[in-house]
Amino acid sequence: MIEIKNLSKRFKSERGTFHALKNINLKIKQNELLVIQGESGSGKSTLLNIIASIMKPTSGEVLIDGENIVSFSDIHASEYRKKRVGFITQSFHLFDELTLHDNLLAPLVIRDLTREEIEEHIQKALTTANISHKATQRVKSLSGGEKQRSIIARAIVNNPDIIICDEPTANLDHKNALLFLETLKLLKADGKTIILSTHDSLFKHQEFIDRVISLEEGSIG
Amino acid sequence: MLNRLNFLLILLVTYRKKHFSIFILSTLLITLLSSLMFLSSSIKKDIYTTLENQADFTLQKYIAGRVLNTPESWIDEFLNIEGVLNVQGRVYGMHYYEPAEQYFMIVGLDFYDTQIVKEMQELVENINIDEFLEKKNMIIGSGVKKFFDKYHYFDYYSFRPPDRTIEKIYIYKKLNSATDIVSNDMIIMDIANARKILGVEDGYVSDIVLKAPSLEERETILTKLKLSHFDMRIIQKSDIKKYYENLYNYKGGIFLTLFSIVLLSFGLILFQRYSMISSVDAKEVALLRLSGWKINEVLWFKITENFIVILSAYFAGIFLAYFYVYFLNAPLLKNIFLGYANLQNSTTFSPNFTLSDLVLIFLLFVLPFLLAILIPLWKVSIQEPSEVMR
Repeated sequence: MIEIKNLSKRFKSERGTFHALKNINLKIKQNELLVIQGESGSGKSTLLNIIASIMKPTSGEVLIDGENIVSFSDIHASEYRKKRVGFITQSFHLFDELTLHDNLLAPLVIRDLTREEIEEHIQKALTTANISHKATQRVKSLSGGEKQRSIIARAIVNNPDIIICDEPTANLDHKNALLFLETLKLLKADGKTIILSTHDSLFKHQEFIDRVISLEEGSIG
Repeated sequence: MLNRLNFLLILLVTYRKKHFSIFILSTLLITLLSSLMFLSSSIKKDIYTTLENQADFTLQKYIAGRVLNTPESWIDEFLNIEGVLNVQGRVYGMHYYEPAEQYFMIVGLDFYDTQIVKEMQELVENINIDEFLEKKNMIIGSGVKKFFDKYHYFDYYSFRPPDRTIEKIYIYKKLNSATDIVSNDMIIMDIANARKILGVEDGYVSDIVLKAPSLEERETILTKLKLSHFDMRIIQKSDIKKYYENLYNYKGGIFLTLFSIVLLSFGLILFQRYSMISSVDAKEVALLRLSGWKINEVLWFKITENFIVILSAYFAGIFLAYFYVYFLNAPLLKNIFLGYANLQNSTTFSPNFTLSDLVLIFLLFVLPFLLAILIPLWKVSIQEPSEVMR
């Protein structure tokens, strides 16, 4: 269960203060697939970054199973990211020169796992993301759709219970976007809590999506 | 831990091009710096080792600013001074070797003097004095041998003494290469032959050397020597030492210049590394942080990665410098230190460096390099991962 209370985020710049999030209150149930819609600059990514604990809010709380992750120290926030969160980004944030297999090592080598366990995790993630056949290829040689599936594999390799997707189909063609929807279904069926931000109309009227909310200028519409 | 090491090796191999340029540049700088240090300490050691066996006082007849041949009769006078040992007359002088337009130093020794025989046995391996004295023989330095060989004087060389006769002297042996720094241009022969070639009359020597082992008595001996002859110049061992020190301090200036250039170059590399943390590095940090790596884990990982690169460069540099100085005899660089005062010196350098020298090079290179890496990486790591990703 994720509970967001009075969450606000302000960015200060030379041009003044920008309110990215304004007093957000939200509850997300376990295994829920929540879609956050909104225009660019509406605060979607900021909200997801805060839930993923890669950004601190200006005020408010984010309670994950009753624990406020906003107050976490770097060590606890890292542990939280390592064990509980998988982040699927719109840009293909991967080690381009490494093979897909080696990319998936990064989240696993900091855990106390044997080599066999690591391989087991990697194979499972590759299969779920439907990208096993590209495991030994360098990421830079993959197509956009394959890179997106690689990001999914990296996000789920640690078997997290929360999956955060920030504009996952923004750089995909229609065919690959549909393939992504299939993967989402699989993840939901696997019991994951999924929070997805998008302004892609593809996510409208999908049965497996539990709830759609809109963000407008930092507030839930 | 093994899994992290495995991942580290994967990254090192994958981004080898990025590390290779740093490795090559650092190896070159460490090689140059180490070579300078090895050379400098080797030369100093060789000089001091040679000087250690030198006489404490050298005495010359000296009138109106000119050095004249010294009467041999003075030797007995000096022997009567308390605390004085091994008073020897030396006959030496320069010989102009016309074919090569070079000067050689002829040194005549009394091979019936047991002390001299003992010293010669240290300088020349397997010398048989009886055999040496059987005919007119000479022992030559490496530089002399090189020029003799060049003009096909393999067995003997005919000197032209001032009395216009010809003095045929056979080449008996070459002096040990380890003594080249002082004996490179030297020809050692029996004192009688040297006298004839150099035109030093019987009853005279070029100078007189003596030892005064007791430090307490040295001042008194100096005073007695000063009082003994008004027309005598006294050169103390400390004067010779100072002469060499001055000579090598001048060389030390060149050493310092080279050393500064090396450090400056390294400084520039560090500055480049410090001020321009690459986008690849920043992205790596962001990806690792996103994957749940803690700040200290990221820093240790990156430090280890760079430590492996710079440590490899350090060992490669030390190895290359060792090979360059002690196996190849430091071509080019050697000339800066030894110069061409007379014969081009073909000294072979004997290994002379301590652990502290190696530690110094390590501290000069490895630590600043790691700091130059660590500080910008730390700055990136402590930012919010979302900030770095952007």
